[in-house]
Amino acid sequence: MKSPKLSPYVLGAVLALAAPVALRAAGELNLFGWSEYVPQTVIDGFTKQTGIKVNFETYSSNEEMISKLVAGGGRYDLVQPSDYAAEAMIRQKLLAPLDTAKLTHLKNLMPEFVRRPHDPEGRFTVPYMSGTVGIVVNTEKVKTPVKGYRDVFQPRFKDRIVVLNDSREIVTWALYSLGLPINAIDAGSLANARPLVASWVKLVKVFDSDSPKTPLLNGDVDLGIVWSGEAAILWNQNKKFQYVIPAEGAHQYIDVLAIPAGAKNKAEAHQFINFILRPEVSKLVSAAFPYTNPNAAARKLLTAAELANPASYPAGGKLETFRDIGKVAADIDRLVTDLKSAQ
Amino acid sequence: MTAGKEAGPPVTDRRTAGWRAWALLAPMLAWLMLFIVVPTAVLLVYSFCERDELGRVVYTFTWDNYQRAFDPIYVRIFGRSIGYATLTAAICIVAGFPVACYIGRAREELRDRLLLLVMVPFWTSFLIRTYAWITILKQEGLLNAVLRSLPFGAGPLDLLYTPVAVMIGLVYAYLPFMILPIYGSVEKLDGALIEAAHDLGAGPLRVFSSVIIPLTLPGIAAGTLLVFVPSIAMFAITDLMGGARVPLIGNVIQNQFTQARDWPFGAALGVVFMALFAVTYWILLRFREREEAAG
Amino acid sequence: MSAKVELCGVTKRFGAFEAVSEVSLEIAAGEFLTLLGPSGCGKTTLLRLIAGFEQPTSGTIWLGGVEVTHLPPYRRPVNQVFQSYALFPHLSVWENVAFGLRMQRVPAAEVTDRVRQALELVSLAGFDARRPQELSGGQKQRVALARALVCRPQVLLLDEPLSALDAKLRQAMQLELKRLQRQVGITFVYVTHDQEEALTMSDRIAIVNRGRIEQFGSPHEIYHRPATAFAADFIGQANLLDTRLIAADGSGARVRLAGGLELVLRAAAWPAGVETALVSIRPEKVHVSKSKSRAQSTFAEGETNMFEARIEEEVFKGATDHLILATVAGTRLSAVVANESALGEIFHAGDRVFCGLHADDLVVLRVN
Repeated sequence: MKSPKLSPYVLGAVLALAAPVALRAAGELNLFGWSEYVPQTVIDGFTKQTGIKVNFETYSSNEEMISKLVAGGGRYDLVQPSDYAAEAMIRQKLLAPLDTAKLTHLKNLMPEFVRRPHDPEGRFTVPYMSGTVGIVVNTEKVKTPVKGYRDVFQPRFKDRIVVLNDSREIVTWALYSLGLPINAIDAGSLANARPLVASWVKLVKVFDSDSPKTPLLNGDVDLGIVWSGEAAILWNQNKKFQYVIPAEGAHQYIDVLAIPAGAKNKAEAHQFINFILRPEVSKLVSAAFPYTNPNAAARKLLTAAELANPASYPAGGKLETFRDIGKVAADIDRLVTDLKSAQ
Repeated sequence: MTAGKEAGPPVTDRRTAGWRAWALLAPMLAWLMLFIVVPTAVLLVYSFCERDELGRVVYTFTWDNYQRAFDPIYVRIFGRSIGYATLTAAICIVAGFPVACYIGRAREELRDRLLLLVMVPFWTSFLIRTYAWITILKQEGLLNAVLRSLPFGAGPLDLLYTPVAVMIGLVYAYLPFMILPIYGSVEKLDGALIEAAHDLGAGPLRVFSSVIIPLTLPGIAAGTLLVFVPSIAMFAITDLMGGARVPLIGNVIQNQFTQARDWPFGAALGVVFMALFAVTYWILLRFREREEAAG
Repeated sequence: MSAKVELCGVTKRFGAFEAVSEVSLEIAAGEFLTLLGPSGCGKTTLLRLIAGFEQPTSGTIWLGGVEVTHLPPYRRPVNQVFQSYALFPHLSVWENVAFGLRMQRVPAAEVTDRVRQALELVSLAGFDARRPQELSGGQKQRVALARALVCRPQVLLLDEPLSALDAKLRQAMQLELKRLQRQVGITFVYVTHDQEEALTMSDRIAIVNRGRIEQFGSPHEIYHRPATAFAADFIGQANLLDTRLIAADGSGARVRLAGGLELVLRAAAWPAGVETALVSIRPEKVHVSKSKSRAQSTFAEGETNMFEARIEEEVFKGATDHLILATVAGTRLSAVVANESALGEIFHAGDRVFCGLHADDLVVLRVN
C-alpha cells in the first residue's frame, strides 16, 4: 500500500523541479482519490497535456476522506466520494456546484448513471466508475443454480461462504430478501431483519471487505457476496468464478468526482474531470480497474473480452444506490456486532 | 525538606540539582506528553461527545457512549477478548519458557545467534508475516500439502478462519515478547543456585518449580504483560486469520473509527479498556505490596 | 554418619582439555581432606565429580562403599557449600536451611527442630526471617553451612568457601569450620588454593596440579617432606637446588649442590641408580650463627652439615629475619632466622656466618 501512495509524491516532486516556469504557471491540482482506483498513466497524461502539476493523495474509506477534508480546509481540489457519502457532503455543503459549461464531455455519460438520488440534478457530481455488490460462485464446487441471497445462505454451504465485512451490506441483503426498502431503515425493519441476519452470520466462514477474492482463490470458500470489481478479477483469472446479480435486488455504488467547497484550484479540477470524461482516457481506467464504466463513448473502445466480463457489465437486474441513513448506521453496526458475537 | 527551609544555601543547591534533573528529563517528559497524555486526553474528551451524520465528532456532553459500552453485547466481547489474551499469554509462557531457558544457558556465540533468530521476524512487516501464515494454513496451502504427502494420508485440516488460526496468529506474533524478558531473567539466574538445589536433593521438576520459576517470575510477569496487553486489542489477526467471524474488542473499536463512523463510542470503549488495565495493575501492585509487607 | 570417598582412575575431559587425569584417591571416613592447588589445576572439577555435577569420562567414584559414578547429584548423600554460597534469594534464611529437608519430605515438626538446631550450630539463631541479601558475607557463609549440614550428609563438600571473606574473618572461620567438623564428625572435602587454610584445617592434604595428585599426606608430611618441586614450592618457601651425587657409603651420601657446596644426606634418601636430582631445603632449617660453637651445639654430632657463608642480603620482618647466603663454595641459599629474643644475634649484610643443616632436612624430590 505504501509504494503506490508514495510514488505520486516523488513523481510530483520530480516534475515540479523539472518543469519549466511557464508550465508551473499553468497551475496545480490537489487530487484526493481512492487507493488503487486512478491509474498513474492517466495522471501523467493529464500533466503532459495541460502542464498542470497533480498532487495525488489517497484514502481507503469515505470516512477517512471526509474527516481529512473537514480537517484540511482547502487542501484538496478534487475528491472521489461514493454516492451516499457525496449525498451527505452535499447536504453538509461540503461540495461546490460544478460549472457544466466547462465539462464539454459530459454527454459521453450513460443516462442511467447521472441524476441519481444522491445528486438528483447532477449539479455537484460526475460519475467516475460504478460497481455492484453481487454473488460470486465457484461453479466447480457449487453445481446447483444460485440466483439470490437465500440461495447463498443455505445450511449446506456452512463455512463455505465469504461476505463483505460491512454491517450495512449484510443488513441490506436481508432487507432485500424480506422485500423491505433498503434506504428507509427503522427499528421495525431492523427487528424484522434480525433473525435472518442471525441465521446467515452463523453460516459465514470469512468476513472480508478488503480482499474477499482471496479465500475464493485459495479454495477456503466456494461462494460469496463481494464487490463486482473483485468478482471481475476472479473471472479474469478463472472462468469458473461466475458473477450473479441477486434476483431480490442489488446494491449499486457509483463513485463520483466532486469539487470540495473550499477548493483553491477549481478551474484545474474542472479540467481534470473533463479529461477523465474523454473516452480514450476513461478506457485506460477500465483497463486498469475492471469496474463498470459509465461512459458510453469509452465503452465503445473496450475490448470484447472486457465487455464480456459479467462482473463488470452484468446483464441487468434491480439495482439501487445507498442513501445516507444518518444515525441508524450505529444501530445496524450494533445489531451485526451482537449477532456475530453471539455465535 | 524542613532542614532545607531552615538553612539557606542547601536550598539553592537542591534547586540547581532539581533544575538539571528536569532538563535531563525534559525530552522524555515531552515525549510522554505528546504521545501518551495528549492522545489520552483527546480520547477522554471524545468519549463524552456525539457524532453527526457524517461521523464527525460533535462537542457535547453525554454519558450515552459509556452506557452503551456496558451493554451486555460489549461486556461479553470484552470477556471473550480477555479469554483469548489469557490463553495467548498462557501458551506463550509454556512455549516460550523452554526456549528462553535454552538460549539463556547456551554458549555465548550460540546465544547471540539464537537471540537474533528470535528477532529476525521483526525485520519483515507484521502483515506480510500474517499473510505468510494464510499461505501455510489455507485449504490448498503448505500445511495441507505436507499432510497429504504423508503415507498415512491425513485428511486436509480446515484451520484458516477458525479460532485455532487466530490463536496460532496471536501466539506467533507475541511469542518473542515472552521469550525476551524471560531470557533476561534466565540469563541473570546464577547456575550455582540450580546446582545448589540439585545438591540439596531436588530433582529436575522440583528445581524447576522451587527455584527456576520463582527466580524468573519477574521475567514471566513482564512477558505476560507484554503479550496480554497487545493481544487483547489485536484486530488485524482476527480479521485476516479468523475471517472476522468472532469480533474481539479490538475489532469493535477499530470498526467504530472506520466503517461505523462512531468515534465517540470507539473512544469510550478505549477509555473503559484503559481503565480496566489501570485497575488490574493497581490491584496487582497492592497485592504485591501487601505480600511484601507480610513476608 | 560419615563415609569414605574413593576415586578410582577418574579422568574428566572437556573437549580436548583434560581437567582430571587418572586420579585415584581414598578419603577416609570422618577426615578433613583438602584439595589444594592453583586455579585451573582441576581441584574444583574433582569436587564436582564427587558432588555429581560432572560425570567422569572414565573411572569410578564410590561413597561409603557404594558406587555413585552415574548417580545425579540429588541422589547422592553429599552436600556442598558453594564458593558464592548460592543461597536462594527468594527464600528467607529459615526457608533456605529447610530446603533440603523439604526435598526429602521430612515431617514438618522435625524440619522445625532440625533447622533450629542447624542455625544454632552456626550461631545464627534469630535470623530466621532475614533474606540472604540482608546478611553479611560471614553470615551468608554460615547459612550455607547450616543448609548443607542440616541434611546430615555423609560427606560435606566445600568449594573455596572462605575466599570471599576478609582476612580476619577468614581466620576465625577456619577454626570454626575445624571445630564444626569435629563436632559433627562427617567427612569434609575442602577445596582451596590457600596453603595456610589447608595447613590449618586439614587432616590430610592432596596437592593437585595439572589434573593430577602430586602428593597426598598429612600437613606435616607435605610441609616437611615435599615429594615434588611443585609441592615444595607451592607450600611455604624452599631452596630448590640441582644436585649431583659424588660418593655414597652405608650411612650417608655425599652430594654437590648447584654452585659447588658439598653436603651429606642420608643414603636411603637418594634414589638408586640416579646421578643427579633436585633437592629442597626449607629456609628456616638452615641454622645460622656468627659463632661456630653455637652453630655446632644445636645439633647432634655427626648429623649436621656445617659450612661457612657470607650474608648477601638481610631483610628484617619482625618475627623473622630473612637472609640470602652465599657459601664459600659458591652456592646461594635463603635462610630464615627466628627473632626469639631481643638479646639474640643481629645480622647484617656482609657478615660472615656459620651455618648448620641437618642431613634429614635435605629432601630429594621426585621428578615427574
